[in-house]
Amino acid sequence: MNEQRRQILEMLAAGKITAEEAERLIDALERQRPESPPGAASGPKPRPKYLRLIMNSDDPSGPSRINIRVPLQLLRAGVRLTSLIPDQALTKINAELDKSGVPIDLTQLKPHHIEDLIDQLDDVTVDLNDPGTEMKVFCE
Amino acid sequence: MIPSLVTVGYHRSGGRRLRLYVPVVPVLLVLSPLLLIAVLGGLVACVIFRISPLGALRGAGRLLCALPGTRFEFEEGRTAVQVSVS
Repeated sequence: MNEQRRQILEMLAAGKITAEEAERLIDALERQRPESPPGAASGPKPRPKYLRLIMNSDDPSGPSRINIRVPLQLLRAGVRLTSLIPDQALTKINAELDKSGVPIDLTQLKPHHIEDLIDQLDDVTVDLNDPGTEMKVFCE
Repeated sequence: MIPSLVTVGYHRSGGRRLRLYVPVVPVLLVLSPLLLIAVLGGLVACVIFRISPLGALRGAGRLLCALPGTRFEFEEGRTAVQVSVS
């Protein structure tokens, strides 16, 4: 029993308020309960499930619009597939990347690293505004 | 859970609107002989390229199960295409 309810019941017992008044006060307390008290920590934010990409463009040839929704689970499944790439293929990719001036060693990139990256995508919002074109990438 | 329905929509301004509902499981059943050959081909490719066949099957299964909820909408000028997996 919380403190306010106890006070109401004490007032009723002491005869300071009538039963109807006590009922009205308790009802008022019940109505207040769903609202979170000020300063209380809010519950955990629901985890986003989808990666969204929205693009609107006003080209002279006609407006174009792209709206893509991809489940984050699909990204995770795709990332796990990369672990199947054989080592010799990774070595060849590394060599080609190096030749193109991108010195990234893909053999060092483990699936759990990319999964961590996807987990942190939750708060990412990318807004690109160009005259006539607007693009937004976010998670929901 | 694997996708149950794929919806493909096509629309041209001034033209007629086409919406195609593809039930995945019946289509997979109809195409199962071809699918079997494709899976066998995939397994042979896995052996040739030294990829774990079991891992590849598991990965493909995960990918399939993660598809529901995917939606693509493209609109270019007077043409619009929509693909939705549920």
